[in-house]
Amino acid sequence: MTTNPDLAPDLTAADYPLSVHRPELLHTPTGKTLDDLTMAAVVAGDITSEDLRISPETLALQGQLAAAAGRRQLAENFQRASEMTTIPDAEVLEMYNSLRPNASTAAQLEEIASKLENTYSATTCAALVREAAQVYAARNLLAEEESPVAPLAPQEA
Amino acid sequence: MTAVAPRAEGTGASLTTSKRTEVLEDRPVNLDGFVEEWPEKGLVAMESDFDPQPSVRVEDGRIVELDGRTRDQFDFMDTFIADHAIDVDTCEAAMATESVEIARMIVDPRTSRADVVAVGRGLTPAKILDVVKLMNVVEIMMGIQKTRSRRTPANQAHSTSAKDNPIQVAADAAEGAVRGFAELETTLGVVRYAPLVAIGLQVGGQVGRGGVLTQCALEEATELDLGMRGITAYAETISIYGTESVFVDGDDTPWSKAFLASAYASRGIKMRFTSGTGSEVQMGNAEGRSMLYLEIRCILMAKGAGVQGLQNGSISCIGVPGAVPGGIRAVAAENLVASWMDLECASGNDQSFSHSAMRRTSRLLPQMLPGTDFVCSGYSAVPNKDNMFAGSNLDTDDYDDWNVIQRDMQVDGGLRHVREDVILQVRNKAARAMQALFAELDLPPITDEEIEAATYANSSDDYPDRDVLADLEGARSVMERGITGIDLVRFLERAGFGDVAENYLQVLRQRVSGDLLQTAAVLTGDFTPLAAINDANDYAGPGTGYRLTGERWEELKKLRHVTSAENPEEEVV
Repeated sequence: MTTNPDLAPDLTAADYPLSVHRPELLHTPTGKTLDDLTMAAVVAGDITSEDLRISPETLALQGQLAAAAGRRQLAENFQRASEMTTIPDAEVLEMYNSLRPNASTAAQLEEIASKLENTYSATTCAALVREAAQVYAARNLLAEEESPVAPLAPQEA
Repeated sequence: MTAVAPRAEGTGASLTTSKRTEVLEDRPVNLDGFVEEWPEKGLVAMESDFDPQPSVRVEDGRIVELDGRTRDQFDFMDTFIADHAIDVDTCEAAMATESVEIARMIVDPRTSRADVVAVGRGLTPAKILDVVKLMNVVEIMMGIQKTRSRRTPANQAHSTSAKDNPIQVAADAAEGAVRGFAELETTLGVVRYAPLVAIGLQVGGQVGRGGVLTQCALEEATELDLGMRGITAYAETISIYGTESVFVDGDDTPWSKAFLASAYASRGIKMRFTSGTGSEVQMGNAEGRSMLYLEIRCILMAKGAGVQGLQNGSISCIGVPGAVPGGIRAVAAENLVASWMDLECASGNDQSFSHSAMRRTSRLLPQMLPGTDFVCSGYSAVPNKDNMFAGSNLDTDDYDDWNVIQRDMQVDGGLRHVREDVILQVRNKAARAMQALFAELDLPPITDEEIEAATYANSSDDYPDRDVLADLEGARSVMERGITGIDLVRFLERAGFGDVAENYLQVLRQRVSGDLLQTAAVLTGDFTPLAAINDANDYAGPGTGYRLTGERWEELKKLRHVTSAENPEEEVV
């Protein structure tokens, strides 16, 4: 998460909603401010879906607000979400499907975890996937490893 | 009283039932299904000898025993709850508190919500069950009143069509929004219709009242796709279950669902999970636990995943708890536990439940009277025969009854009476906006006859049939062309529906701020996010918390027919 003190001040409940009280802290991943997201800009074709996304920095700010309200797990969710912002939509969906029961081998889950960690610096997401892999192994929820087709047993007469 | 049962003998009568019994036999309530408890199979609401006893043990900062099971015996629900939901630092002290003491804290107005929530952070599922088992239904309502996360109650509607007609969905969404629903939900008969119906819901909603939030209930991955495109504003149909076997049958795990929760937040999209008593026994594997014990496991799983809220209160399985003794008390208790665990609670009352109008009403009072984040999740804003969620506990026929109950009890159930001219105007405008948008998108045209029908319709029977194949082709092209919410805003603006476009844009802008990701967030009519931070429930006994007063109370005093005090011949408008 961003630790730049200028960007991530200590927020309190009084700062919520950020769109009303702290709009100056908000920007899109494409660098636009809330004030840039006008109808005129939409009509001119200057706004795309990419401009209506949340930035990792904003998720960090919302995480501060959640933590300040005593909602630890919600803040942890926002931490994972902030890491996920840079992962393309299709890949997020693919990773989700891979986490379904009996969908992936231990090696496939480790591959996802490594990719999260190395490609996207998504360390808490990677930790969640590795934790899932451990539990799935213990609960028999991993896909079976691909193994060469065993020869048919000779038929008993 | 007589000591001997009366008999027909000697009188020549051969009646086996009395005339009174015949009348009672014909009462609608006797069409409902009731069944004996069967605790061994989990067919029991909340009082079962087969539920585990509360216990917790911490070693080296880790929970190693939970409700009688050691870590090597944990199923994946135990593991997830132990590792993510329960506060390791406080659990031993919290668990050492007598259950009756905790139950009294919940009811006692002098104990703050914060203190009740704090002790709840350290409790196991069996302990939470042990606490709520001590509470009668009025105490459960007291608890909901105090622990609900948002101060101001709200309501959610279903807007669907038996013919998946997007114009009907738009018109009924507009009427629902103007009547006061903060959230609107749709789903489909034919899933391929989803893009057009979801667009209808969004456009109609923004016509009725800017800032209404919409969702389309579909399979997880498709629902997320519509959300990412900005065609819908939030998601709710993310089902979780209380036993490992049923969770796996649903093709998910707590980890896949936790990942999905983060995926939604990473796109700035509000999301809540869904669970409810009775789902496990209905799906055939309750593992011999009571319905409420399993639901409490779901609630803690949701909390552990860090999702902001939960839709619970049996939901589509209401027939199961509804059939057993104390079942509706258990349903109220699950809403209480979700609220107590500091989650937004969209509290059910959303499925056809009883043939008896009296029983339908009594079923909703434990949520309506104390107020919840969404009293219904949802209320059918179409006649029940058009409700593609298989009908709701309330539908459009009940609008006036609901408004009268709000006025009788001075309780805010999130709706209001709206004058006929206003309703006709928003229905007409929603249909016209859809006509213009369909033209811009090169979709099968909407005729003036359809607009006229939408303005005055009650049900899907009142609309001309559409060319379904052409619509489905159009729906496919919307997805293939990659149409997004921002495209829809631009087209609405270009087609002369600038105010609707502006409302829609305001909703989309919320993604950038993430304000709607906080617990129990809704958008007010002036697009201010209202959540359990800036509208935190501060109930602390009589005279505190949300009170129906002032302008809102004046609004709720209005009904379809109210006689003038000065002139009894006149009605107040």
